[in-house]
Amino acid sequence: MTTPIVSAEHLSKWYGQVIGLNDITLTVPPGITGLLGPNGAGKSTFMKLITGQLKPSKGSITVLGEPIWGNPGLYFRIGFCPEQDAFYERMTGLEWVAALVRLNGLSEAEAAETARRALQMVELLDAADKKIGAYSKGMRQRVKMAQALAHEPELLILDEPLAGMDPIARRKTIRMIKEWGRAGKSIVVSSHILHEIESMTANILLINQGRILAEGNVHQIRDLIDEHPHTVYIKADHTRELARAFLAYDDVLSLKFEDEAVVVQTGRPDAFYARLTDLAASGELGSIHEVTSPDDNLQAVFQYLVKT
Amino acid sequence: MSGSRTAPSRFGSAARVFDLSLGQMLWSRRSVFLGLLLGFPVLLALTLRIVDAMYRSGLWRQINGVRVGGATIFGLMIWLLYIRFIVPVLGVFYGTSLIADEVDDKTITYLFTRPIPRSAVLVGKYLAYLACTTLLVLPSVMLVFFLIVPIGGGGIGAAFPALLRDFAMLAIGLAAYGAVFALVGTRIKRPLIVGLVFAFGWEPAVLLFPGYLKRLTVAYYMQALVTHEMPQDSAVSVLMQVFREVPSLTVSLLALAVIIGGTVWLAGRAVEHKEYVLEQ
Repeated sequence: MTTPIVSAEHLSKWYGQVIGLNDITLTVPPGITGLLGPNGAGKSTFMKLITGQLKPSKGSITVLGEPIWGNPGLYFRIGFCPEQDAFYERMTGLEWVAALVRLNGLSEAEAAETARRALQMVELLDAADKKIGAYSKGMRQRVKMAQALAHEPELLILDEPLAGMDPIARRKTIRMIKEWGRAGKSIVVSSHILHEIESMTANILLINQGRILAEGNVHQIRDLIDEHPHTVYIKADHTRELARAFLAYDDVLSLKFEDEAVVVQTGRPDAFYARLTDLAASGELGSIHEVTSPDDNLQAVFQYLVKT
Repeated sequence: MSGSRTAPSRFGSAARVFDLSLGQMLWSRRSVFLGLLLGFPVLLALTLRIVDAMYRSGLWRQINGVRVGGATIFGLMIWLLYIRFIVPVLGVFYGTSLIADEVDDKTITYLFTRPIPRSAVLVGKYLAYLACTTLLVLPSVMLVFFLIVPIGGGGIGAAFPALLRDFAMLAIGLAAYGAVFALVGTRIKRPLIVGLVFAFGWEPAVLLFPGYLKRLTVAYYMQALVTHEMPQDSAVSVLMQVFREVPSLTVSLLALAVIIGGTVWLAGRAVEHKEYVLEQ
């Protein structure tokens, strides 16, 4: 059995009277894991606990099999890209990454070489000698990632790495993260945007109000949808006739009309879609122009789960 | 690479943090502001030199009827302006913010997620503070020395060894105040206010009265390091006598060493155990 990269037992964190994390027990397997949750859900607290910036109020947490709080030696094996857009602005990207890598025990020459290599990995070598203060948002995100991966850690922890990036930089970064995963690195990546995580990994942790709501394969989590009403938006020629037909199905929980569409909530989406396909193919109730579901992305899964 | 590396020693780690921090500290807004503050003694010295040139009769060179040479004025400036005012100000403003600046700028994360002890971050930044403030104070003192000492016919060559001792005293003062305020900065909320109250409330007040309380100040031990002779039979000398209920040089140096070592150690321990929650 492989050692989990992160393991938490009844982990809680309070900030005075405010609960950051509440009695979390979980294991994060090797590979890429996405940490999902809205702002204020406890993602940052979890990230700070697994990077040893905070001490658990209760319970325990181990990273790569060792406790992380007060264990600086473990940072040889971990690279952390924090969320905050904070730098020594007067330094160039190369100087900054090299200075940080030197803290890992590298000589000046080794650090410069390592920093150059890391900047190349994030496609920032051309701007290595530019001051960080002059970098674009995307470049700043990438230089943060360069300092995290420069020392070739086993585990990369990326806190909202795509925040503020333009679509092209976002695509590049997602590609890089997947490549690092394929190269054998374990990665914990957080985001509050579900499709971003979905594009990087199928293995997710869903967090809200300081609790883990679900963990595992995204498809398993999708199955949870079946336990909750699923919304389908159908644009058709004869919406009233359609609605009348739907009322005969016992899995249809509610109906409403919007513009030229009927919006259905069903408890068994698979069965509903199958019948809807048959209905469209028969043409008995006119043409069906558009079938969409706001539940088709993970955002809806998340909303379902947080409502429970 | 990750498996083959060993962490730099504690001092090696501190030296690397020093390298990283010195440039940031030197070119910070705080350094610009305090650099301007250090221009004040130079301006004062320049004014005195001009007045000296204008009144060659030497009238102004008498304080309460006692003739005062340039070296004595320089000594007074070192004690009253630098040791009692500028050095504590530098100590308060830099010392209390060694870690707080990184927390406010949210850059502390990068230092605390590296394979070095957190206390090494504090020590490295403390050493950077010492280098930075010494670099700020040095030109100011040099200029004041060259402007003031020749007044009244004083020889620069003869006074130069005293200047070197003054530099040593200033460095010790910066080290002691910086260490005390580094501890204040890591332990206490609103460290700047507490630091200013300590330097400009507690220390001057306690030094005025006889008793043991003055041993809980840095200034008490700094007095023994002052080598300049003060004008005798004057108001200034009376004032200095009140201030200077002085411990021996050895006791002072030992006490200052304990203050510096003890407070830096305690500050390091505080940083090791403290959680820094960054504002989102």
